[in-house]
Amino acid sequence: MKVRDRWERWEALDAAALFVVFDDPDLIRRTMLDGIDPEALPFPVLVDRDRRTYDAWGLARARRRDIWLDPNVYKVYWRLLRAGDKLRPGGTDVYQLGGDFVIAPDGAIAYARPQQRDDRPPVGELLNAAKASRSS
Amino acid sequence: MPSAPQPGDPAPELALPDLSGETHGLADLPGRPVLVSFLRHAG
Repeated sequence: MKVRDRWERWEALDAAALFVVFDDPDLIRRTMLDGIDPEALPFPVLVDRDRRTYDAWGLARARRRDIWLDPNVYKVYWRLLRAGDKLRPGGTDVYQLGGDFVIAPDGAIAYARPQQRDDRPPVGELLNAAKASRSS
Repeated sequence: MPSAPQPGDPAPELALPDLSGETHGLADLPGRPVLVSFLRHAG
């Protein structure tokens, strides 16, 4: 969670964050959090088991070729393995895509980047959107 | 399935339980910028 590493920059904007996941909470604790106490995070990790919220926010499922023919997927695995990480069991649906949104203080969408494949915007781009949403 | 909201659209509703079962949502955070990040699968 790169956002957590630069959390002071979000605090400086008096911004909040909500992270949403859909997997089983036990799997999330074992893999994504990997021992981190969720209570110690500066934002909640929310669970959408039936993915109704993913659907309501228009988050699609990837096409097979967009996941398995994406060279970045293999680069990430290779980097993790070289760093001594271990392969972990995958989640319940490797094709479900996510996305990042910044909501302005007035409740309107200020920034929207639903995933088309397994990619994420730079944290700086999200911070800039949050900052701009304060002045618009 | 609806399409993803675009800039300028009102944010769709979001209220979900955390890992302890306590509900959080956008309605709890009025007047602040909020990053909403939907993640892919765990692991």
